[in-house]
Amino acid sequence: MNDKLLEVEGLETQFNTPDGVVHAVNGVSLELHEGETLCLVGESGCGKSVTVLSILKLIQSPPGKIAAGKAFFKGADLLAMGNEEIRQIRGGQISMIFQDPMTSLNPIMTIGKQLEEPMLLHLGISKNEAQERSVKLLESVGIPQAADRLKDYPHQYSGGMRQRVMIAMALSCNPQILIADEPTTALDVTIQAQIVDLVVRLREELGMAIIWITHDLGIAASIANRIAVMYGGFIIEKAPVSELYAHPTHPYTIGLLNSLPQIQARGRKRLYSIEGMPPVLYQMPHSCPFAPRCKWVVEHCWHENPPLDPIGDGHEVACWVDTVTGKER
Amino acid sequence: MNNSNEVLVKIEDLKMYFPIYRGVIRRQVGSVRAVDDVSLEVYKGETLGLVGESGCGKTTLGRTVLQLYKPTSGHVYYEDVDLTKLKPEAQRQMRKYMQMIFQDPYASLNPRMSVRDIIGDPMVAFGAASGKQIDDRVRELLQLVRLDPEYANRYPHEFSGGQRQRIGVARALAMNPSFIVCDEPISALDVSIQAQVVNLLEDLQRDLGLTYLFIAHDLSMVRHISDRVAVMYLGVVVELSDRNEIYYNSLHPYTKALLSAIPVPDPAYYETHQRIILEGDVPSPANPPSGCRFRTRCPIAIDECALERPELREVIPGHFVACIRVNPEEVQHKEVIDQESL
Repeated sequence: MNDKLLEVEGLETQFNTPDGVVHAVNGVSLELHEGETLCLVGESGCGKSVTVLSILKLIQSPPGKIAAGKAFFKGADLLAMGNEEIRQIRGGQISMIFQDPMTSLNPIMTIGKQLEEPMLLHLGISKNEAQERSVKLLESVGIPQAADRLKDYPHQYSGGMRQRVMIAMALSCNPQILIADEPTTALDVTIQAQIVDLVVRLREELGMAIIWITHDLGIAASIANRIAVMYGGFIIEKAPVSELYAHPTHPYTIGLLNSLPQIQARGRKRLYSIEGMPPVLYQMPHSCPFAPRCKWVVEHCWHENPPLDPIGDGHEVACWVDTVTGKER
Repeated sequence: MNNSNEVLVKIEDLKMYFPIYRGVIRRQVGSVRAVDDVSLEVYKGETLGLVGESGCGKTTLGRTVLQLYKPTSGHVYYEDVDLTKLKPEAQRQMRKYMQMIFQDPYASLNPRMSVRDIIGDPMVAFGAASGKQIDDRVRELLQLVRLDPEYANRYPHEFSGGQRQRIGVARALAMNPSFIVCDEPISALDVSIQAQVVNLLEDLQRDLGLTYLFIAHDLSMVRHISDRVAVMYLGVVVELSDRNEIYYNSLHPYTKALLSAIPVPDPAYYETHQRIILEGDVPSPANPPSGCRFRTRCPIAIDECALERPELREVIPGHFVACIRVNPEEVQHKEVIDQESL
């Protein structure tokens, strides 16, 4: 589990809008090891989706622009690749599941056709072989009467079933990396549990690495090996999963964990709330992006944005203050 | 929080069917049974939580209680007034006392109206105030929901989701209602903002003595805010109990599965707990299964479950469950063990 499969360095992505430049991702570095599941956690607008879309060069340009950074996949920089080159990788060696299963399937193509398409493109197999493989794939994601259901259209599937189809499609070309962008957000809790269970099972069978994006710290706890928490376009804390929940260190992570109601708790206590709002990203911040909402804030926070520094046990945090002692680092 | 046993809102055998029309002559071929025979009581000053998955009828129930839909049959009493029997104008007058906070703060505020007009609108509609009086009351309400009173002249697009939801709360409070239906008021908001809105709702309840019907799909948040919780599945209430009881001693297999499916923010939990994963999807409410509606996905279903619809029985005082597999005697036995182990 030590080989780095993907290594992102200093990724910056911006969007030109009529109101100014939005700095969506401001120098994100992360690495993904073979067979590992990394969760990117954060609230809407924190840059987690833009980060992974940038890695696959799926940012529409204009208005979007990858301003800086490198993303090495098996030695090659994805961000330096031409369109034709990256198409060979996208959907093949790196595939993606999107958030909304209702809109990410083509409504006028049968499920079978949509499933076969990436295989014909990436695997170079015949139509018959692709068809046979489609049936196996649908069976492996738990769709009954798979052979018959290939002829159906997306509207004949329920939300949970469509997300299963999306997973089957993403796995069809034996990817080494699966990127899942909030795949369960649009689903009900019982269906969400089915999908998480399915991905965990398939991960064990196929051994791919996963980048899973979520805003739900509960889901992250159930599937991740490592977690990276994002805020305002930065990774502000990164740690192995048990370490992060046992010793959350960044004030934002602490706030997020405390603002969730404890389902196990017997009494009822007031929820901890992080006052204020997430930042608007029109300016590249020169202070810590969380400073206006932080209760540990010190003078230093307003002048310099803290870098992501290791604090031991694979735990990295971007904060000038040691939240355990309350003193400046 | 709930100290009274006085019933404020009583829902009796409420049914809400939506007709399905087909063909050229628009013949009615069936109906969607969104709410199918629900009886509930909401006590004065309490928060009754209503949970279930999408399509289970929880929003329809909330709207039917406020008579935003005309129910197919059944009654809704506010204090002693049967709302279903009132004439339209009399019904409208009752809405002073019963208000609603909507799910989507982006869709429920008119983008062309200023905050002052949005919050003042109920006062205009009921002729309760005019001119300067409205201005004063709007400022007071904005302060109450912890927004700057200077915001009165701004428009909805200038606000974030959490702030918009506060405006929605202020509008609901404009006529001093005593009963508010909160229809998933936090599900469109970010996690750090959810806690702000929930705390606000709790403070308002304490200060103004409000009664809430709190609708949500997030069982952990519902348990946090509610005094009692009702679990709905496919148009019917399957379990109803006190907030702690429903978590520590849930009896209905659906409630158990729903609780087990909640993602817990603690990795150690997953090493010690086996999750119950339900098979399949929720059936269509246009053609619900016979007998118990949950039987098609139920891990403990038997043949008898298909025969008759299970009644909501009180198996422990205050704990109601609709499942024939629950044996009241065993339940009490289990409860004793539970208390000993504390």
